[in-house]
Parts: sequence; structure tokens; C-alpha cells
Amino acid sequence: MSVFAVSVFVESIGFGVVAAAVLALAAVGFTLQFAVSGVLNLAYGGVMVVAAYTTYVVNRQGIDVWVSALAGIAAGALLSLALNALVYTPFQRRGTSPIGIVIVSLGMTLILVFGTQAAAGPTNVSYSMSQGKTVTAGSIVLTVAQLAIIALSVVVMVGVHVLIRYTRLGKAMRATAANRNLARNCGIRTGRVVALTWAITGALCGLAGVVFAINSGTFGATSTDLFLVLILAAVFLGGPGEPYGAMLGALVIGLATEVSASIVVSDYKDVIAFVILLAMLATRPTGLLGARA
Amino acid sequence: MIRGGFTQGSRRRRPWTLVVALAAAAVLAAGCGSSGGSGGGSGGGGSSAPSGSTLTIADVAPFTGPDAALGPTYLVSCDASVNAINSAGGVLGHKLACKSVDTRGDPADAVPAVRQMYASTSNLALVIGCTSDEAASVVIFTANKTVSFCMTGQSEFDHVKFPYFYRLVPPDLSESYAMIWIAHSLRHYQRIALAFGNDIGSQTFIGPAIAAIKTAGQTLVANETLDLNATTFRTEAAKIVAAHPDVILTEALGPPEAAFLSEVKQLNGGKLPPIIGTSATISPDWFKSVSAAVGASTLASNFLADNLITETSGPAYQAFSKALYAEKGKVGSTGDFSTYLTAPGAVHLYDGINLAALAMIESKSTDPNVFKADIEKIGDGVPGATVVYSFAQGVAALKQGKQIRYEGPGGPTSFDAYHDSAGLFQVDTYSPQGQVKVAANIPTAQLRALGL
Repeated sequence: MSVFAVSVFVESIGFGVVAAAVLALAAVGFTLQFAVSGVLNLAYGGVMVVAAYTTYVVNRQGIDVWVSALAGIAAGALLSLALNALVYTPFQRRGTSPIGIVIVSLGMTLILVFGTQAAAGPTNVSYSMSQGKTVTAGSIVLTVAQLAIIALSVVVMVGVHVLIRYTRLGKAMRATAANRNLARNCGIRTGRVVALTWAITGALCGLAGVVFAINSGTFGATSTDLFLVLILAAVFLGGPGEPYGAMLGALVIGLATEVSASIVVSDYKDVIAFVILLAMLATRPTGLLGARA
Repeated sequence: MIRGGFTQGSRRRRPWTLVVALAAAAVLAAGCGSSGGSGGGSGGGGSSAPSGSTLTIADVAPFTGPDAALGPTYLVSCDASVNAINSAGGVLGHKLACKSVDTRGDPADAVPAVRQMYASTSNLALVIGCTSDEAASVVIFTANKTVSFCMTGQSEFDHVKFPYFYRLVPPDLSESYAMIWIAHSLRHYQRIALAFGNDIGSQTFIGPAIAAIKTAGQTLVANETLDLNATTFRTEAAKIVAAHPDVILTEALGPPEAAFLSEVKQLNGGKLPPIIGTSATISPDWFKSVSAAVGASTLASNFLADNLITETSGPAYQAFSKALYAEKGKVGSTGDFSTYLTAPGAVHLYDGINLAALAMIESKSTDPNVFKADIEKIGDGVPGATVVYSFAQGVAALKQGKQIRYEGPGGPTSFDAYHDSAGLFQVDTYSPQGQVKVAANIPTAQLRALGL
């Protein structure tokens, strides 16, 4: 391997960590939603887009993007709450099958994405912000904004860990995820737990949307199309419903896509990521951290 | 399993949920970009429209997906020409109207959209658009039934005879040579990097560009394909920056271009290397998104693009400018509106619509079997023909019994046996405000030396 190739390889590891940080923020929220409510919410990418645009609208008023992100986070939480209360829960109460719910969520994705595109137009937009100075460590070159994204992701992952391990709500979420009827019989108000889960994961989704847009530099209504597939890959690689698995899956997918692009031609980077996923699932169908059957 | 995980209890996710998830995601990935479209008409195929009915011009192009800016650009041009034609009395008692047919920039999605167009649109008089994204699957439908002015430059159409296929833009390989001419003869760059999107339209530039680089004695130092569905391209950008190119030749329409170039700039110590784009990069949307990502003044001082020569003054330009500016405010905020004046799609489709409308009047028929011959006659002209620069002028001359030759803002046309009129190239650049400026003209003889 030439010096040139080694340099690009090391550089790609840094990019992979950034990609993993963004992916982890999204994947953890997605898998928590799935674990607690049983909804495979394919509208997650659509909510991310709405949150990113909400932040854009606030940012255009001259407000710093990191402050504007609060509006995006709030939009993600409110929209997710509304999705659960007004769409998924009514369908579940009517006995719609899980696959039916998946199709409903697919429909919601199209409504959100193309509704946003109709309102905002087909042109992509960018936040008014600086990526900050470039920080170099060996061959790894990252901006201050990218380092902030990594730090933010680490903080959120620690926060999620504390939430699910050490708080009453976290215990209630785990109980609801394990067996909702039993949890309800034990006095847990599962309806409220599910609603709170949607609010928290919606906020995570909103944050992921904003960070995704910051990381991309520019975005449009359809920008999360492929990203949703990567979220699914990370979630199922780690084990569906496993927040720690989603973190690990995000790291593997993020590194795999960037590092593979440095080794082979970039056309194959997503191919390689999904070959890894399929190989993993072939040998361990429940994912890296999923429970063994 | 990590303690505290969510599946450590008795509840297990069934394996089929994975299948459902991946299948749904695949559907989503393939399908996002939907909608749009809307019917066009049954028309075409050799029949005249009922008296007094409205003739429809279908803008068959991407309105969603990565190339979503193309369809609206063509629609602005269509509305401009149609309104000017209607103001001048219409065509044989018919008013004209434009409608959009969204192909999503995907040949597979384009087929049902076009079928729906034919099934639901009455009096379809003309098809415009058909970019390289969807031409492979669309042209076979439209160009056998309806007069179609296409924007595709794909070389597979260079020597194929469709009865109603017309092209006022050059083959993509000509554009590739034009880009290499800019790099070689205008700027004397030696080390060339290519970064093109993975869509059909962008990929067609690569082969001819590599051949022309070899012919010109330059060195290809990097060739990266940019996945238009991805949102970051850092590793691709790192590979290009590490190859130390003198210039990057690129076309990756939509958000990827802005993301890619901003990452190149970041990894290149905050400096954007010289960039040469295709004619498709001359559009308000492209400038708006890329300038927002890398800085308007940075882009203006580091960017050149090949483009077909278009008028920037004179009667044809005046008529086009007047018609186009009448549409200002009716379209969304897309940046500097004046960029449409030099956007290839806007200019050449305006000319195509005027040519077709005048041909209908000349032949006294809306039947494409009848009026298609007059498209070439009016475009190329016959000896002694009166040159007209707008639809209104053409109608007035025809009423006086004169033979006419239409010369619009795209310059004179010269159709070959395959209904192609290639045109001449110029080099464009942007001002920091997004206005397009002509930097140079490209001599046809020198283009030929690169492979034409």
C-alpha cells in the first residue's frame, strides 16, 4: 500500500467516525421506538427532514444553528408524538398487522418528504454557519463542527445509557418493551411510557436530522432516502430493539462505508456495507447484540 | 447481550420483520421521488387536435430526485414561450398550455409516468425535456408518436432515426471534449480529476473525457463516482485532493455537488481547486446550492463551465428575455433569475417550442406527420427566407406569404439527417451574484482535434 493510499485510509477512518456519530444518533432513536412501541417507523427519515427544515427556517432569521437546532428537536418530538397518537396507535387499536403498520409508515414517509418538498421547493438548502477551523491529527482532518458532532453523539449515547439503566422511566420502558401486558398489570402506565418514548425518540430524531444536515453541508427534502436504509442496517446489524446494538451497528456501518471507499472504488462503498450486514445476519440472525433464539 | 438491553426478556422480534424492513426500505429507496407528473394527453401519433382545443406541451423531466431542478427550469421556459405564443394569437385557433410529467430522473419511473401522460392528456402536441436520466426509456415512446425536443446528449441517439425526435443540444461527448479544451487549451492544466454523479446523464461524460485527456496529453489523476443518494463524499474528496489535480471536472446535480465541493475545499486547506462543470451546471439552482456551500466569491473565481453559445443581445435575445421575465415571480425562489437566460434547457427548449408552433402554422396542421417537415424547413431555412427572431415575427411573416427561417436565442439551427442541431460552444463563468458571464468561445476546429 502506497503512502498516498495509507494516508487516505487513515483519513477515511476519521470520516467514518463522523458518519457513525450521525448514524448512531438516528439509529438509537429508531430502535428505541421499535422496542417500546413495536412500530417499525419508516417515516423516521421524513421526520428528520422536517426537523432539519424547521432548524433552517429559524437559522435564516439570523439565529445560530446550534440554538436553532432546539426548534428542530422540538419539531421532531412533536411530530413523532403526533404520528404515534394520530396515526400508528389508532391503526394498532384496530388490529392492523405489523406489516400493515410498516406500509402505513411508508405512506407517512412519502407524505412528509413530498409535503416538505412541495412547501420548500426542490432546491437544496444550507445552514448559515461556519464549519470552523480544520483540526489535523496525523492524516485525520476534521473540522470543529465535525468534532462537535462526535462529542454531541457521545454525550447523547451516555445520556441514553443513563436513561435506560438508571431512571424509573428507563426501567418502565424496558418493562414495556419486554411485555407490555405484564408491565401494565404491574402498574406501569404503558400508554404514558409509549408516549414519552415517542417524544424522547422524536427529539433524538430531530437532533439527528439537524446534525445530518450540518454534516452534509447541504440538504433537500429527499436527502434522507438512502440514510434511512443505513439506519435500518445499523439497527438490524446491532439487533433490532437494542440501543447498544444500534450504537455498535452505526459504528460498523459508518466505518465500513467510508473505509471501503478508500480501499476500493467509491462506487462500491454502500454495496460493501450491506454485504457486511447480510453476512452478519447470515451467521447471527438476531444481530450483534440481539438475544439468541 | 448487554444487560439493560431491550430484548433480554421473553419478547422476540420475528425474523420476518427484518425481511419487511429491508423490502420496505428498498421500495422506499427506489420509490422516493414519486408523484409529480400528471397527465399529458393522448395526442400524438398523427392526428389533428379538435378545433379550438388547447394544445398541451408536456415537460417530461425530473421534478423530484437528485435532478429535480431540471424539470422546473424547462417548465419556466415552456411557460414563457407558451404565453408569448398565446399572446400572439396562438396556433391555428388553439391556445397552448404546459404541464409537468415527473420522471423522478429514473428510467424505470419514467415509463409509467409517460404512459399515464398518454392515457390522460388530450391534444398532446409536443414533448420537451427527456434528459439523459430518462431518455433511454422515454424516447422510444414519445419520439415515435409525438414531436419531442429532447435535452439528452447521450451518444446512443446520435445515429438513430426516430420520426419525431429532435435535439438542439450536442452529444455529451462533444461536451466532454469542450471541458477538456477548457482545461488544456484555455487554462493549460495537466493533472485532471473527474468527479461525476452516478446517474446516467453524468456518467456519459466520463468515457469521452478520458479519451480526450489522452489525446490532449494530459494526466488523469483521479476518477471518482459520486452516489447521488449519498450526502457526504469525504473519502472521495480526500482521494481527489491527495492526487493533487490541477483541475476537477464535475457534474453531480442536486445536493451532492454542493456537499462534495465543500468537502474538497475543506480537505484542501480551505481552498477550492479550479473546477470545470458541464453546461448543466449553468443553472440558478446549481449556483444557489453550491455557492451557499463553498462561498459565492470562491465559486466565482474558481469555476468555469462549457455551454452552448447563446445570444446575449439582439432581437432574438430581447424577445426571449421579455418572455422569460414575464415568468419571474411565478416560480419559486431559485436564485438569480437571469441565469435562466443562458441555461441550456431554458434557451433551447424555448426555441424548440417556437419552431414547432411556427411549423404547425406553416403547414396549417397540428398533425406531427404533416408539420414535422416544416420544423427543419423553418429551422434551417430555405434560400431567400426571411429571418425571424420570435414567434410573433414568424406569424406576421407567414401571413404575408413569406418563407421564414427562425433564429432564436440559441442561435441558428442546422439539422442533420437525425434531427440533431449541435450548435457551438462557449466558456461561461459566474459572477459572485450568480450572473453568467461569457469567458471565451471554443473554436470548433480545436474541438475536432480532441476527438470530434
